[in-house]
Amino acid sequence: MKGKLEPSERQKLVEEGKNLKEGLTTLEEDLINLRDELQLEAQCIPNMTHPDVPIGGEDSSKLRNVVGSPLSFDFPVKDHLQIGKELDLFDFDAAAEVSGSKFYYLKNEAVMLEIALVNWTLTEVMKKSFTPLTTPEIVRSSVVEKCGFQPRGENTQVYSIEDSDQCLIGTAEIPVGGIHMDSIVSESSLPLKYVAFSHCFRTEAGAAGTATRGLYRVHQFSKVEMFILCKQEESDMYHDELIKIEEDLFSSLGLHYKTLDMATGDLGAPAYRKFDVEAWMPGLGRYGEISSASNCTDYQSRRLGIRYRPSESPTTSKKGKTNQATPKFVHTLNATACAVPRMLVCLLENFQQEDGSVIIPKPLRPFMGGIEAIYPKSR
Amino acid sequence: MAFQCRLSGATIHSLKMATIPISSSSSRFIFRTLPQTLNHALFSRHTPPKAPPFSVLIRAFSAQAVVAAPAAEISDDKVVKPQWKAAIDFKWIRDNKEAVATNIKSRNSNANLELVLELYDKMLNLQKEVERLRGERNNVANKMKGKLEPSERQKLVEEGKNLKEALTTLEEDLINLRDELQFEAQCIPNMTHPDVPIGGEDSSKLRNMVGSPLSFDFLVKDHLQIGKELDLFDFDAAAEVSGSKFYYLKNEAVMMEMALVNWTLTEVMKKGFTPLTTPEIVRSSVVEKCGFQPRGENTQVYSIEDSDQCLIGTAEIPVGGIHMDSIVSESSLPLKYVAFSHCFRTEAGAAGTATRGLYRVHQFSKVEMFIFCKQEESDMYHEELIKIEEDLFSSLGLHYKTLDMATGDLGAPAYRKFDVEAWMPGLGRYGEISSASNCTDYQSRRLGIRYRPSESPSTTSNKGKTNQAAPKFVHTLNATACAVPRMLVCLLENFQQEDGSVIIPDPLRPFMGGIEAIYPKSR
Repeated sequence: MKGKLEPSERQKLVEEGKNLKEGLTTLEEDLINLRDELQLEAQCIPNMTHPDVPIGGEDSSKLRNVVGSPLSFDFPVKDHLQIGKELDLFDFDAAAEVSGSKFYYLKNEAVMLEIALVNWTLTEVMKKSFTPLTTPEIVRSSVVEKCGFQPRGENTQVYSIEDSDQCLIGTAEIPVGGIHMDSIVSESSLPLKYVAFSHCFRTEAGAAGTATRGLYRVHQFSKVEMFILCKQEESDMYHDELIKIEEDLFSSLGLHYKTLDMATGDLGAPAYRKFDVEAWMPGLGRYGEISSASNCTDYQSRRLGIRYRPSESPTTSKKGKTNQATPKFVHTLNATACAVPRMLVCLLENFQQEDGSVIIPKPLRPFMGGIEAIYPKSR
Repeated sequence: MAFQCRLSGATIHSLKMATIPISSSSSRFIFRTLPQTLNHALFSRHTPPKAPPFSVLIRAFSAQAVVAAPAAEISDDKVVKPQWKAAIDFKWIRDNKEAVATNIKSRNSNANLELVLELYDKMLNLQKEVERLRGERNNVANKMKGKLEPSERQKLVEEGKNLKEALTTLEEDLINLRDELQFEAQCIPNMTHPDVPIGGEDSSKLRNMVGSPLSFDFLVKDHLQIGKELDLFDFDAAAEVSGSKFYYLKNEAVMMEMALVNWTLTEVMKKGFTPLTTPEIVRSSVVEKCGFQPRGENTQVYSIEDSDQCLIGTAEIPVGGIHMDSIVSESSLPLKYVAFSHCFRTEAGAAGTATRGLYRVHQFSKVEMFIFCKQEESDMYHEELIKIEEDLFSSLGLHYKTLDMATGDLGAPAYRKFDVEAWMPGLGRYGEISSASNCTDYQSRRLGIRYRPSESPSTTSNKGKTNQAAPKFVHTLNATACAVPRMLVCLLENFQQEDGSVIIPDPLRPFMGGIEAIYPKSR
């Protein structure tokens, strides 16, 4: 229509332009809606799976490692609840009145044990060059979603804050994953290794049944979490590094445990591969999960928008400009270094003595003022 | 920690009822008079919030003649029904009403004492009336046991029926009256220690001063700048992930937080306090019983969606709740706890300059001391608590002043409150790092915590039984041993060196792996 035209020709073109514009507006809206629907459906697709991961349900998980064997006791073994009661270490009853079931107060030496566990774990992991962090425990729900959790699903594990778009975190994985949200990091800065201490809050909706006694399943707990952002080709290697750190920690404390390569049915959408550590809990009479290490490859980073710019390759274009390589998505991994309540169950149940006392593992003693054991208190 | 309590209550300027003879059916009148202004200066000097409007359903009752003018406004007929009752000593309030009125005024409280006394009176009268009617009904019932003429019996049956209806009405009125009385009376702030200065913030009295502002021969930085240069925190990432006033601590700051908490707990435990960690999610009724308003406008409290639970703003709340609704033995007192928890505060209505960096945040770690004791010992424990706090801060080498807070700054639960303000050279002023309150029986009357005094040897009843003394309400006290972010501000700003490093105070070093200072990292 820029050139010189007959009025009738111009008129035809104007009509045609108008029709095209309307047609376009409609199609563009359709495109937006279609993209949204595509996103919604596609986001449901779980991460791919490592070729070595066993296929099947919980029972198909493969044993990777066993350390130690169940301690034998020549006296009747108590569970952690009974030990805690006798040693005045926790109070579930008062917490049930004040807050509800599955809440608790830690008392006396249990407080010092929690602090020692956290302190020792942070110190050990820092030696492996992880940057220590404490994190916000209230986060925007969009960040929770980007990490692969469903804050507002039915039976959600996530507590939401009234009149806001914020939630409580169930794990430090979420606020740590969020640190580098929507950014491009330099390749030279990778790997970024964080060890984060936070309180964690979980509704445990839909978790009725036997595996809920005492400290085993609670709504609030302290946890030290490791998180790695790395180059794509290195995530398998860091997954092995993380599980090794975990195993070293648990071995140092003298725990008997087994490490499992979790089967496909047990992975959860973000994980490419997941190793769980289950420790022997004599009071419960079975193994209980104390830790989990997941390689999420680029599942979370594609949602959180975290990429890295590979170092410039020596190939230059014809015009003499150096090519800036396209940014790639980082791979993210997370692993529990210490989930305090489960550790308390392990320590109390495994190291109980016939006289009712509990021996403190040596590595923790310097972080507890040198205490060697928890003794029954004279009444 | 200064966690101001806010009590909002719609004040109803007058209850208006119509006269109804006892034998006719009762009619309902719904009254609501909105107060013209709500003065909540008790909570915040700068932003008086509006209280949610309340309405009261009052049924017309009894043959007492009252003012006939109709209600000014009528709207929703929500019944004021507190979920729990505070064991308020109405008789004492009535017998000491001048003192109570003076106290309410000097606290800038919006409690309506006149209304409380009026309601109390009405309640007593109504109680008497209810009892009288009950007596009459019993008479009728007794009469009906004997032999009667059919017509006589019929009359008695009628009479009995009328009495029963009237009684039901009055008993409902009594319940509503009690609820309303509770609601109004809960607004009345605690009494005040005679030595507390009367007035606003400026009237607070200096109790103690330790040290003096450090002088620097180089340009002093504030904690935000120090933190940035030493890579100790990240507010920007937290703003994206969570919102403003959130932060990550990094590197040595993490170890400093751990050391501060660990050292503080250790020191306070030496004084015979039982260490605790507490739930950080609690039922909102427990928050209210401690004297806070979870659902007021500009509330400091985060609530959990689809539940009656909230996040705690201080461990005072879950610790106070431990002995809720119980009677402890006198020999178990004093009960002394030192509790570590994370605390969450909305800081709604706290805009302005005093919000920079770590000074005002939504989430922080705190070590709190809490004491339950006998009534006559609370003043003594208040002194003990402030001494513990001062010893802690002196050990760290801080310069601070302790203030006896004036009545306008007390907040409803406190009988007396001592605040500690430490010198923050980067901010260029004193900032509150700690608060120690004696709440006497304000919280315990709401939480229902009493103690049974030991049996006295002198009084035994005629029958030879020993008297069990009536339970008394405990006194409760709370004091901040360590509020981590404010302590970080103090330590970073006071102990900064010219080369950009920060010296760690001696007491904390063993709890941080022996580190003596935080040094700038080579890049």
